[in-house]
Amino acid sequence: MKGIDLEIKKSESVAIVGASGSGKTTLLSLLAGLDVPTRGDIFLGKHELTALDEEQRARVRGQMVGFVFQTFQLLSSLTAIENVMLPSELKGDPRAQEKASEVLRRVGLEHRFNHYPNQLSGGEQQRVAIARAFASTVEVLFADEPTGNLDTATGAHVIDLIFELNEEFGTTLVLVTHDSRLADRCTRSVQIDSGELKKEEVASV
Amino acid sequence: MHFSLALKLLWRDWRAGELTLLLTSLIIAVGTVTTITLFVDRLQQALLKESATFLAADRVITGSDPISNDILARADELGLQQALTLSFMSMVFSDDRAQFASVKAVDDNYPLRGRLIVSDAPFVRGAPVEFGPQKGEVWLESRLLPSLGVGKGDILDIGVASFPVGNVLVKEPDRGSGFNSAGPRVLMNMADVPATEVVQPGSRLTYRYLFAGDVAALDELEAWAKPRLGVEARMFGVKEGAAGIGDALDRAERFLLLGGLLGVILAGVAIALAAQRYSSRHYDHVAILKTLGATPNGIDTTFIVMFLVLGTLATIVGSCIGFIVQMGAVQILEPLIPIELPNPGLRPVGLGLVTGFICLLSFALPPLLKLRAIVPVRVIRRDLGKAGVADRMTYSFAIVGMIGLMWWYSKDLHLTLLIFTGGVAAALVMSVVAYGLLRSGRILGMQAGSAWRLALAGMQRRGQENTMQILIFGLAIMLLLILYLVRTALVEEWRAQVPQNAPNHFAINISPEDVDPMAQLFQDNGVASQPLYPMIRGRIVSVNGQLSTERDKKWHSESGGDGPRASSGRNLTWAANLPDDNRIIAGKWWSENYEGPALVSLEKDLAQSNGFKVGDALIFSIQGRELPAVVASVRTVAWDNMRPNFYIMFSPGALDDFPSTYMTSFFLEKKEKLFLNTLLSQYPTMTVIEVDAMIEQIQTIISQVTLAIELVLVLILISGGLVLLASVQASMDERFKQHAILRTLGAGQRLILGSLAIEFCALGFFAGVLATFGSEITVYGLETGIFQLDYEVNPELWVLGPAVGTVLIGVVGTLATLKVVRTPPTTVLRGLS
Repeated sequence: MKGIDLEIKKSESVAIVGASGSGKTTLLSLLAGLDVPTRGDIFLGKHELTALDEEQRARVRGQMVGFVFQTFQLLSSLTAIENVMLPSELKGDPRAQEKASEVLRRVGLEHRFNHYPNQLSGGEQQRVAIARAFASTVEVLFADEPTGNLDTATGAHVIDLIFELNEEFGTTLVLVTHDSRLADRCTRSVQIDSGELKKEEVASV
Repeated sequence: MHFSLALKLLWRDWRAGELTLLLTSLIIAVGTVTTITLFVDRLQQALLKESATFLAADRVITGSDPISNDILARADELGLQQALTLSFMSMVFSDDRAQFASVKAVDDNYPLRGRLIVSDAPFVRGAPVEFGPQKGEVWLESRLLPSLGVGKGDILDIGVASFPVGNVLVKEPDRGSGFNSAGPRVLMNMADVPATEVVQPGSRLTYRYLFAGDVAALDELEAWAKPRLGVEARMFGVKEGAAGIGDALDRAERFLLLGGLLGVILAGVAIALAAQRYSSRHYDHVAILKTLGATPNGIDTTFIVMFLVLGTLATIVGSCIGFIVQMGAVQILEPLIPIELPNPGLRPVGLGLVTGFICLLSFALPPLLKLRAIVPVRVIRRDLGKAGVADRMTYSFAIVGMIGLMWWYSKDLHLTLLIFTGGVAAALVMSVVAYGLLRSGRILGMQAGSAWRLALAGMQRRGQENTMQILIFGLAIMLLLILYLVRTALVEEWRAQVPQNAPNHFAINISPEDVDPMAQLFQDNGVASQPLYPMIRGRIVSVNGQLSTERDKKWHSESGGDGPRASSGRNLTWAANLPDDNRIIAGKWWSENYEGPALVSLEKDLAQSNGFKVGDALIFSIQGRELPAVVASVRTVAWDNMRPNFYIMFSPGALDDFPSTYMTSFFLEKKEKLFLNTLLSQYPTMTVIEVDAMIEQIQTIISQVTLAIELVLVLILISGGLVLLASVQASMDERFKQHAILRTLGAGQRLILGSLAIEFCALGFFAGVLATFGSEITVYGLETGIFQLDYEVNPELWVLGPAVGTVLIGVVGTLATLKVVRTPPTTVLRGLS
């Protein structure tokens, strides 16, 4: 990463686009506090991520951030509903189960509550991941190529879900993608090339 | 495909760090096995050598006549060292006093093993010397000096010859080997014997021909000489020659072998785990190779070549490490081990090498060969094509390898099969129970907090892997518990065999009128003595009307002649009360003031090997008269407690009509030995048999053996820890991923460590419970079948086993996975996604 200067405002939806290996995912990891840069400062809300240790960053993530990954990253040992409950449980929310079933229904998986990840299709797994991201009210949702492993139709369905829920919950969305249609749906997109921000454009929508 | 490609792949794997764990566990496993093998081998040799001092030789031929010169010539040919001793009882005289002494004449080679210890004055510690007395001098045991009123340099007469007293004899190595060494010792040179003229036709003499040297040569001599020996002569080594020691050595040897065996199994398990992990991480790798056109045979070649290279490397490095560690251990332990360890020969190194390779072949190769069965479609659907086809081969490889190694190590098929079936049975039961425990854990966990739920859900979800892991943990803990239990039982048995302050002198031939004053004398001098028992020679002539000699023919031709015979002459006694450590196993002991027809109580072996039952009517022949008696009870006798013990005891009054002498045993410390002079001067007709030297030697050897097996136990513990670590490592990838996801979602350190700790502790607890169960069963088989010990349930084990499992696995597992909470989650997610 070189000379990155980027500010994302509350409730914005921002797409990070670029070629493979350009540093999209690295940038996302840094923004989400999954990793730390060798130099520079990163703020997430009022937290200076670069000044926190791994333990404190985990706490910040737990409080503010939701994730959707290309490879879903569900816990294979937990059922769909348990996976969705997890973030709320980490926050100590007593209504974890209630909220989880609500969101799972919202993503259309009311008949899949007690299935394990390997019993679900790719699209279903990604919907569980989205439900997990929204189940505990988060401020920022980070999505890393959320449709990368899905067919076009399923991908489109997943994207619709993300934007719908984003709207509903008023979440800030940061999205890594190389799908220009997807990038177009965001309020703005930034392009990255060899670790540098190239240009910024406000979407036409 | 091709050797060079295989090497290239191997190199790439190495560079990528994929091989580190496999190679490390191979090296450590081979190293552990080599260390244990070398160490056990050296200890075994050392113990045998040390015990040989008990005979002052490796083998002895003893008899009342000289043996033929052919045998000595044969021993010469075989390159064995030889020495000769001749013992007889004789009066020895100083100027004004006389004493009956046990004279032993020795040649210039004596002793072949161990050393003589002498001093200038009586009753001091003394220093070792290399040779016995020179021609023209005699050495006296300490207490002879005051009783004869002589000192160093004074003249002593034996027979018609006179000798100056050269040294005071403090200790001779073979003093303890046999009860016949009664009376204070005079040691003289063989060359002086003719001059004394005490050796005449008809004298009672004991010749002992001593041999030492190479084991093979000794065995050859024994095989050659045994059929050529006269009826009276006997040839034996330390194991047969010294009852008590032979037994202890035999058991120690079995224990060391068992230890080596368990070490091998543990190392094998560690290798299997590492290989399994390597193989499962290469499923994708192989699927891609296959997609690109690699044939199954090509894959096999690749991995076999890889295996050979790895194996050779690991075996060589491991053996070197084993050799060095073992040297280091010996260096550190040298001051603790009171015996000198012989240098390790090449044989154990070879043993280590071969063991290493067999381990690799049976434990590491099968998982690698499994890769052959990977289907290429896995490239597209990862959940397809988990190789399971080759499982049967995997198991049979491991089983054959394991049995082969165990058999080779223990040279005992019975022991091997026992441990193997025990292990398999335990494994089967364990896996069923483990699976059940995991399921119930989940149900319990549903009601518990987050960390518990996470941990237990994970455990159950990965039920198969975890069952496997519990099995491995359980097996490792079980082996350790077995070793610990057997060791404890052995050591206790040995300690009990010769307790501190056990009587170390026997007094026999005490006349009835001396009984009371002598008991008084013991009491006045503060000597701890056993009750005085009457002793009368007699034998059983008939049983329920059948001649006892007839019965011998029936019972002893069938059972191969073992055990005491019915018709042999025995020492008889009577008593009102059952001796302290005897136990009735059939019938009833008579009441203290019983006055009725004669009853007898028989010792268990005597009763069992002749089919005597309670209620049988016996007729005894005592001093030419017949005495009928009915068997009232059968009892066990603690033969090795050094107290007066009898095969046959009569009820009070039964033997009143027969004149008898009495016997007892008592304890004297070394510095109290002068009391013997007082005792013998007041009661000159009685005989004292000294067994203190023998007991002391038994105690020394037993404490050395105990230390040796404890050292081995520690080594095995270390290799057990290694298995645990390898097993935790093997499950690491899955756990890393799980916890990285949790980290990403914002789980705190406490939650993650908590769930890890709970998971490992629970695994450990289940493993501990199963291990305890398995080890109780196996130890029962071992102790009753192999070590001939009495089995007892070990209640403390049921606490110890699960506790050890929980703590050990909990700590090792949590520490090994601590990295999870320190690594930024992206690293893990990207590496594994």
